[in-house]
Amino acid sequence: MTPVREAIVLPLLLLTVALLGGLQPGARIAFVPPSLFCLVLSSLLLTALVRSGALDPARLMHGARTPLANLNGAVVLAALLAAGAQVFAMLTPATGLPLFFVSVLFLVLLLNTLVANPDRVRLLRSVAVILGAGLVLKFVLLAGLSQPAGRTARVLVALFDAATFGSVAQDPQPAAAGYLAFLTAVLYLVAAALLPGSERRETGTALRMQLPEV
Amino acid sequence: MRESVVRSIGLTASLAYGALVVWLYATQPQSMAQVSGGLTSIIGAYTIDQQAFEDGLRFFRADKFPEARAAFSRADAAQRDARTEFYIAYTYYREGFGRLYNDDALFKQGMTAVDLAIALAPNGRLVVDDPDLQLRSADELRAELQRGLQVDASDFNPLRVLRKRK
Repeated sequence: MTPVREAIVLPLLLLTVALLGGLQPGARIAFVPPSLFCLVLSSLLLTALVRSGALDPARLMHGARTPLANLNGAVVLAALLAAGAQVFAMLTPATGLPLFFVSVLFLVLLLNTLVANPDRVRLLRSVAVILGAGLVLKFVLLAGLSQPAGRTARVLVALFDAATFGSVAQDPQPAAAGYLAFLTAVLYLVAAALLPGSERRETGTALRMQLPEV
Repeated sequence: MRESVVRSIGLTASLAYGALVVWLYATQPQSMAQVSGGLTSIIGAYTIDQQAFEDGLRFFRADKFPEARAAFSRADAAQRDARTEFYIAYTYYREGFGRLYNDDALFKQGMTAVDLAIALAPNGRLVVDDPDLQLRSADELRAELQRGLQVDASDFNPLRVLRKRK
């Protein structure tokens, strides 16, 4: 990995994700810090990145590196943790049952990814699916429920809302929020792909093809 | 370029950017004006719109309080100037003052504004040298607003109608 990527490109990308992840656009903008649960999810994702070989911490911080290089590495690791937490916070619905179910969904998907122990490419694909699913759930499905178009749809949503004691509907979001979330998720994935990885490792449980002994 | 130079530039830029992100989350600016105002005030370069401030004072002295607030808010769009926020709080006090009863909603907004003024003032001490005002310090204004919001036996004193607005 080049010093430019480690010292400039990765921190810039990850800190931008950390900034945009909590930004709520609107008439009055707000910056929402991540919840503790999102930090836990981000830690799990960091673990998955390391186990899969997508991130080799020794290439960021190691006794053989100079102190300046180690500081650059520490910034990348801290920014990666913060960016991950902000991405999960951004994709998690704000209130009600969706908040609970999407949080559980993220947790289960991440645990499943950890247990499956995928290689770097598969892990990045898996993270893309997790983030994509969260994006569609919050900014397409739930946003559609919060801002129904047409009178019939509004009546149906109002009935649905009453039947679920108002625990499903979310506050309407400005259109820019979805686009901003998409950009943030893409930036995070680009940064994850640019992380210094380890050599391809053999997993203990991988199936190997063996020729029968004659 | 040498590797150490690249790394030093990257580290400095990253720390500065990270500090900006933390500052944004800590201070919660609600508009771009507040972001730019906050950043310029950090380096001591923030100034209010003096013309708008003068307009606000003129409206304030003519008892046109909503107009005064609009002008003061325009003068201090970033909400970083203690004196302007003090005058905004004072407009809430004067508009909300009543001989029979005070307007609690306006007094509460006045409390919010005067608290902001105190928070912005150096060491929390703010004194405005304006002969038109009877309450010249933020502490006095805050106490007056606080008294106006409290309900006690003196509220039922008929002589209350004789009191004067400060």
